[in-house]
Amino acid sequence: MRRVVAVALLLVFAVGSAALSAERSALRFTIWSGNQAHLDLLNGIAAAYRSTHPNVEVRFDVVPFGDYIQKITIQIASGTAPDLGWLLETSAPTFINAGVLVDASSTLRPDKAYAFGDFSAPALQLWVRKNAIYGVPFSTSPFIVFFNRDHFKAAKLAPPDQLAARGAWTWEALRRSAYAVARTAGTGVYGFESVDGQGYDVRVWHTLIPVIRAYGGDAWVGDECGLASPEAVKAVGFYHDMIFKDRSVVPPGEQGDFFSGRSAMTIAQLSRVSKLEGAKFAWGIAPLPAGPAGQVGVIGQAAIVVFAKSPNRRAALDFLKFMTNAENTAKMSKFFPPARDSVLQSQDFLTANPLVSPQQMKIVADGIRSGKVLPSHPNYPRIEAGARPVFDRLWRADASVPAVLRDVCNVIQPLLKQ
Amino acid sequence: MVTSRPSPMPPPSASHKGGRRGWAWLDTLHAYLFISPQVLGFLALVLGPLIAVFVFSLQSRNLLTGRVAFVGLSNFRAVLGDRLFYAVLTNSLTFTAGLVALNVTLALGLALLLARGFRGSTAFRTLFFASVITSAAAWAIVWRFILQGEHGVLNQFLGLVGIDGPNWLREPRWAMASVIVTRVLKNVGLNMTIYLAALKSIPDEYAEAARVDGASGWGILRAITIPLLAPTTLFVSIITVTSALQVFDHILLMTAGGPENATNVLVYYIYRQAFQFFDIGYASALAVFLFIAALGLTLAMWMVRGRAAPV
Repeated sequence: MRRVVAVALLLVFAVGSAALSAERSALRFTIWSGNQAHLDLLNGIAAAYRSTHPNVEVRFDVVPFGDYIQKITIQIASGTAPDLGWLLETSAPTFINAGVLVDASSTLRPDKAYAFGDFSAPALQLWVRKNAIYGVPFSTSPFIVFFNRDHFKAAKLAPPDQLAARGAWTWEALRRSAYAVARTAGTGVYGFESVDGQGYDVRVWHTLIPVIRAYGGDAWVGDECGLASPEAVKAVGFYHDMIFKDRSVVPPGEQGDFFSGRSAMTIAQLSRVSKLEGAKFAWGIAPLPAGPAGQVGVIGQAAIVVFAKSPNRRAALDFLKFMTNAENTAKMSKFFPPARDSVLQSQDFLTANPLVSPQQMKIVADGIRSGKVLPSHPNYPRIEAGARPVFDRLWRADASVPAVLRDVCNVIQPLLKQ
Repeated sequence: MVTSRPSPMPPPSASHKGGRRGWAWLDTLHAYLFISPQVLGFLALVLGPLIAVFVFSLQSRNLLTGRVAFVGLSNFRAVLGDRLFYAVLTNSLTFTAGLVALNVTLALGLALLLARGFRGSTAFRTLFFASVITSAAAWAIVWRFILQGEHGVLNQFLGLVGIDGPNWLREPRWAMASVIVTRVLKNVGLNMTIYLAALKSIPDEYAEAARVDGASGWGILRAITIPLLAPTTLFVSIITVTSALQVFDHILLMTAGGPENATNVLVYYIYRQAFQFFDIGYASALAVFLFIAALGLTLAMWMVRGRAAPV
């Protein structure tokens, strides 16, 4: 009898342990930022979740930005998909069409405390198809101008934030400032640097679209290429002149890092503020300059998605909901401007980042309200790869801007129609 | 001359012979066990993927969606109709020809210099081999700085002697030359070491005899050293050709295939098709062409070498 009881107890213990371990989940979350300040923020949120969900462990897996899409695609194909991950706006249509993202609507919409309606509708455009929610934007980050105040002071120029305050911050003003700094600051210092210094390569669209939109054009609208339009030609011609006539922009093949003080201005997003901690120069931020079409904001966006092949789908969806609730959105707004209206309008957002003043944060908030997300397309990888070699011809002093832009359209037009 | 001859083994006794026969299977088992890690590794990591590439090349296979369909030879037809493929193939062959010619010549020259032995030759040898073990990423970052258009070290230096250097990595006609030279400088130390070992295995008596017969230094090099190094040259050429055809990291880090596809080589093109456009079927068809190119060039070198002087 004693033996029977012992065996029964052992069975109960074994079944109980199995049930417990079945509920235990280790979520793998892929991100592309290895910045320690970003990691501390994310790990803090994961730790808060674990305090109420002791069986769920979240591990952030950093994949370099340049390899990100390739690596997660291989992981999905090889059956080792992450549970959750960041995804850039340019990849959204491709991934949604491929059916590799989970529709989170049944988790997010019914929860009144979560308040899905708090997300601004324009910010959700890329991620919502009818009622399905394939991603929740965690960063709706407008492109803004970062400037080196010391270089402006040395060149006796009014800085961009002052020009913006009196409505005189235009692309022409940016050009004049860049030219003046390049002439006064000495060898190896430029007036302007493209986005992340990669404006001739992987960030060519990010660099050209702000100026093209300010002139009233766009890269493409729907399935029509817009680069050959007179507005786009004028805008790119203007930027081309800055590079090769004024010689005020870090030229192709040259390294001129704004964040180490070797350039007076650059265009970037709020997350780059972390690179300015301990900067040896005074810096500031300003909105994108206005052009003939007025002041047109450009937004780069990234969302958190749950992958369809996640082995822990239920836990992943729950963590997605936790991470993007109002409280955590407010925490993340320090580096990643939010798409939740309540957070965007709060005082907490304006004071979220100690490196950025409330006045400067207001520039970011205004940029989100007035901006338009970067163009995307299900065929984006082929569009990007097809356009880049043609754009390469643009980066010569004797390039014909209208001819090159026409050729880019010839290459990408069939891809846009597919 | 007296030579010692090893004493013959005593004939095994009948009982011993029977014993050996009885345990022969154990010897065979031992042999198989010893080679099994290599064989299993080869099957799983070389032959398996190689067969998979041929199978995938007959399929429409999307890496992201996982959708697979048999399409016969249509991927190969698409490759043959792809204008960029021909440009990429030409780039690969140009890179290979430039790299092999420069690498083998420089490696041989350096090895001949070092074989003479001079003060500081060990440091010199270490210096050239250090680049072989340097990480490709660090090497590329340093060279991208050196080859900058306006403020690069190379152009600054050329400026001192009145030469206006080009924008090395941004001009199509210079970009290919730049990636070839920087790749040669990275890897020449390996071939140099192989040549050095081969040079040391050539008996000095040959050169001494030739010198007694009145041969000049150049004559000895041309008629004795280089012919005796032929097997090494063949080996070095084959490994350099195959590594040149497979170049990827160097291109990705230095130029990402640009400008204007001037340095877009076959493996980089395969990578883009597979991991940026997710088209594994098309990428596999390209990989089959690469396999044929590598095999063809290797066989051609064997045949040329076989006709010149059998190894």
